[in-house]
Amino acid sequence: MPFDAMAEMPDEALLVLFANGDGAAARALNLRLTPRVMGHAYRLLGNHAEAEDVTQEAMLRLWKIAPEWRQDEAKVTTWLYRVVANLCIDLRRRARGVALESIPEPEDGRATAAEILQDAARAEALQEALDQLPDRQRQAVVLRHIEGLANPEIAEIMEITTEAVESLTARGKRALTAALSGRQEELGYGDER
Amino acid sequence: MAMSDRDDMSGLEVFFDAARAHAAEPSVALMARIDEDAQAVAAQTPAPPRPRRASLSTQLYRLLGGWPAVTGLATAAMAGVWLGISLPEGMLDGANESAYLIDVAPELAFDLAGGNF
Repeated sequence: MPFDAMAEMPDEALLVLFANGDGAAARALNLRLTPRVMGHAYRLLGNHAEAEDVTQEAMLRLWKIAPEWRQDEAKVTTWLYRVVANLCIDLRRRARGVALESIPEPEDGRATAAEILQDAARAEALQEALDQLPDRQRQAVVLRHIEGLANPEIAEIMEITTEAVESLTARGKRALTAALSGRQEELGYGDER
Repeated sequence: MAMSDRDDMSGLEVFFDAARAHAAEPSVALMARIDEDAQAVAAQTPAPPRPRRASLSTQLYRLLGGWPAVTGLATAAMAGVWLGISLPEGMLDGANESAYLIDVAPELAFDLAGGNF
């Protein structure tokens, strides 16, 4: 099938094409899904190199499961978000268990908000605050407020009820607000209220 | 977004917007590695068997409607053969022949009997 014709096809159909030996379908899925997977992995991990490793592993699992994929089962993105979260949680648990002291401290000499784009500084500040949240709160907040998913889909990804999702996001946002409140002036947040 | 979300989102939304605008991008090398993984997995996975073209007799069998139709046809054919072989003797055995013989062209029989040919 021509590569251009795949632009309108759903992920699930492309995965079936890949399982049937269509290499172009794999390239289309790679271009479409890898940036999302990478972005999500980075938000859960806060580390670019680790996020790349998780992304490659998650996509590898997708290629391997393709022959068994049933189109009516679930959305590919839902499955991927779940795999990414599990890989990230495993990675963070191993890192905590093996060597807490080896986790790098936040850099002291980082550039101030005046020296870099304010927006990028806000993204960085949010990432730092997200890194301090418990895994499940971070996952729920990222899925809801950055990835923009609806609560029922998040509940499916996290395998919990929608009420539990609401509870996790509410607690996560309270913690984020507390963490970021001290940096409002530095990040120009006060100007926009 | 639900009202409860909006109530306490006024402060955080600007950070979430910034995070969306500054998503981590996969490197070109990562994209290439993922493509290579896909090719490697595809090479290891046997291609699904292609559907084979059915034989002529199978196509005819399907065209007729499968086993119910073929069974009906076979039964009808056997009944026809049986009737063709056994009916004349069976029907005429011990009965008055005239009750069963109908002369559809009596004039022709007369002409033949009269030797007018």
